[in-house]
Amino acid sequence: MSSEKTNGAAWPAIFQPLQFRNLEVKNRLFRSSISGRFDNYDGSGTEVRVAWDVKFARGGIGAVISSNTPVHPRGLIVPNYSHLDSDDKVPFYVELGKRVREAGAKYIVQLAFSGRQRDIPSVVYDKGLSSTDKPDPIHGFPCERMTRAQIAEIVDAFAQAARRAREAELDGIEIHGCNGYLITQFLSPAINDRTDEYGGSLENRARFPLEVVRAMRKEIGDDFHLQFKISAIDDGKALFPWAKEGTTLEESIQVCKWLVEAGVDGLHISSGFVFPHPRNPAGSFPLADVIRSYDTMLSSGKNTFRNYLMFRTPPVNKGFALLWERRARKLGVEGINLELARAIKREVDVPVLCAGGFQSASVIARAIESGGADGVTIGRPLIANPDLPNLFQQGHDRAPKPCTYCNKCLINFVESPLGCYEQSRYSSREEMVRHIMSVYEGAPLPSEVK
Amino acid sequence: MIFEPLELGVLTVRNRILRSSVGGRFDNYDGSGTPVRINWDLRFARSGVGAIISSNAPIHPRGAIVPGYAHIDSDDTIPFWRELGTRVHEHGCPYILQLVHAGRERILPFLQWEKGLSSTNEAEPLNGFPAQAMTLAEIQEVVEMFAAAARRAQEASLDGVEVAGANGMLPTQFLSSGINDRRDAYGGPLENRARFGLEIVRAIRKAVGPDYCVGYKISIQERLDELLPWLPKGNTLEESLQMCRWLEEAGADYLHVSAGGGFPHPRNPAGEFPAAQIVKTYDTMLSSGKHTFRNYLTFRTPPFNRAFGWWWTRPLRDREVEGINLGESRAVKQVVSIPVVVTGGFQTASVIARAIERGDCDGVTIARPLVANPDLVRHFEQGLDRAPRPCTYCNKCLFSFVEHPLACYEEARFDSREEMLREALSVYEGVEAPSEAA
Repeated sequence: MSSEKTNGAAWPAIFQPLQFRNLEVKNRLFRSSISGRFDNYDGSGTEVRVAWDVKFARGGIGAVISSNTPVHPRGLIVPNYSHLDSDDKVPFYVELGKRVREAGAKYIVQLAFSGRQRDIPSVVYDKGLSSTDKPDPIHGFPCERMTRAQIAEIVDAFAQAARRAREAELDGIEIHGCNGYLITQFLSPAINDRTDEYGGSLENRARFPLEVVRAMRKEIGDDFHLQFKISAIDDGKALFPWAKEGTTLEESIQVCKWLVEAGVDGLHISSGFVFPHPRNPAGSFPLADVIRSYDTMLSSGKNTFRNYLMFRTPPVNKGFALLWERRARKLGVEGINLELARAIKREVDVPVLCAGGFQSASVIARAIESGGADGVTIGRPLIANPDLPNLFQQGHDRAPKPCTYCNKCLINFVESPLGCYEQSRYSSREEMVRHIMSVYEGAPLPSEVK
Repeated sequence: MIFEPLELGVLTVRNRILRSSVGGRFDNYDGSGTPVRINWDLRFARSGVGAIISSNAPIHPRGAIVPGYAHIDSDDTIPFWRELGTRVHEHGCPYILQLVHAGRERILPFLQWEKGLSSTNEAEPLNGFPAQAMTLAEIQEVVEMFAAAARRAQEASLDGVEVAGANGMLPTQFLSSGINDRRDAYGGPLENRARFGLEIVRAIRKAVGPDYCVGYKISIQERLDELLPWLPKGNTLEESLQMCRWLEEAGADYLHVSAGGGFPHPRNPAGEFPAAQIVKTYDTMLSSGKHTFRNYLTFRTPPFNRAFGWWWTRPLRDREVEGINLGESRAVKQVVSIPVVVTGGFQTASVIARAIERGDCDGVTIARPLVANPDLVRHFEQGLDRAPRPCTYCNKCLFSFVEHPLACYEEARFDSREEMLREALSVYEGVEAPSEAA
């Protein structure tokens, strides 16, 4: 089917613009925050990052949500992601935003702070800042409980980064408030064990993110797009049976209402109180790849002996992967968060975006038409098929070789370039390697060759 | 002595101190070079070293040791090296490109291939990376790759090339009686084991002509058994010396003496075994190699990790780290007439001067002490015998670089942890954003 003939007519719900208060996006498809270790260790950006983000704009996405972007060196999740922690980083973002817009998409920068949760340690800091002083449950990275002064400092770091985003003439900001990073560490009753005004009641746990939103609004004014990504439920028991359940949907709905009151223009729904979590990234647990490249699990975390047994030693590792995958199957992958988004959408009057395995135009269109979400954000399926929006536009329901949710992409990125590592999707291993390495060449997308 | 020029074939080096091949993972995964690498090398060019030997530059993607190092594997890479050379030359410093094919010896697994090429099918003993014995056709291909890479270095106006023939790299895998188990023309007697390295030197010489500096780095003492006691010793001193004579005949302009038939090795980098650091950052030891359970015990679990630390430092019981290879370089000098430079912990002007005066070597190459004190030569110029805060040979630099920027991580050498970090990250200062570069 040629794009001229259909021009998105097959999926009108997907290819109608989405109007936020301060931003219009040309369709309902967003690239979710995802990217590799493409930059310098000090957080300065490189041409490779530009090539990575431009690839999705060329593939027809409505807006690119950036990789997680630390607002402070002590907030980095993994080294080699560009930061927005100082004014000298602004020129890089000016260039990045310009190049993505030229390729046809809006650019929303995701401002992030790791807290106690990281993918690998960095020399930049030993202890993460958190609501608590208990280490994260997977890797065991140590952390320290933030003082009031530290909370104020980080609130300001978020606000200054927001100012820089506006100065760089980007199209908007997303606050990374989910998946176990610092803001979740405050919001979640399964993590936050404070007894001051930042812990305890929901109102207190929500204080930190609301302060961040208000401080940002003060810097960027009322006419700049600001959205918030939240884990609608923690679902602690899905990770470890002995974990606390954590934040409930009812609590998250209340937080979302407060966020909108505080000046948020859109909500982005995810789930899970840590990363990784069977809900996110939902799908397989690729043992061999985890062992080889996800170093914290074995070499650099604190829980290395437990993890050595759990991930490396048969039959314990097979058992762990089986359990993980059974939970993931039960939850479903494509649209895993849709009912959560729907519940939140009913209660707020800003557009709601939903993350979680979307890659079928019919599923996405139905989600929008049925009022489940106003748009969807896509991570892994776009890594597999960066031109998925173009394929939808041409009338396809799915890409010829869809994402298998094997999760090898998200595991391999620690040591190798981010890309699709599911060899069964390629005619050969060589083709897979070429596909992955193409980010360094600015190679054309398959749909551009035709 | 230190500040007299040194002739390496047609190349004149401005003094007797060369920066040895050392560089972090500063480049892109695909082997394209970045401004960070240029910053790194400029730091040493500015501070007066006689010449720089580059970080190991793979002649083919399959010959890389670890991702993130600039390659010299295609003509596309020439402009980067030309730029790097030009910038280094602005400080009057010659630049010698070190050509590497790592074979089975790697520090991380690679996306692009699973098995390393080698003389043997036996896996590398420390991390367990699998290997595949090269066919005769593959041997010829790799020899030609070395020659092509040397030609590129010449086209990029660099001042010379050095074959990474030491430390367990592919030429060692052929040369070593402890590794090479072939039965064809490339295995068995020394003459056969030496064939590959000598063919490389001859092919390079043919490609670059007589008026270009070609060096060869060789481990005189292989002593594989000093790393893991169940391994064979490897070549004898006499065998290594014979190889040096043949290298001179084949057209090498200088020899660079190192030690150890694999990397890492107790003689290179000689010094401490920073177990705490290694388990965190040197991933092959635990997560990505094959011998992970043994390594988990050896490196992570007391008392095994302490015992290994004791074992590692054993060769240092009767030797100093500084000048650990001087006895070997003296022996080499007695059998060849080309200049001999030697590596191994040098950082004291009097020690270096005495070594040269005694005829133990013609110059020294320095890695770790220059990572700690990039301006070491300036200190010597000002009459200091050592830098105020010398390198402690803690080896944290060489084991951290897998995950962190290459730098000195010995906190005791700094006023504070913050100062150490500033120093470590300073290599990124002034790196231009893409918009400015475009």
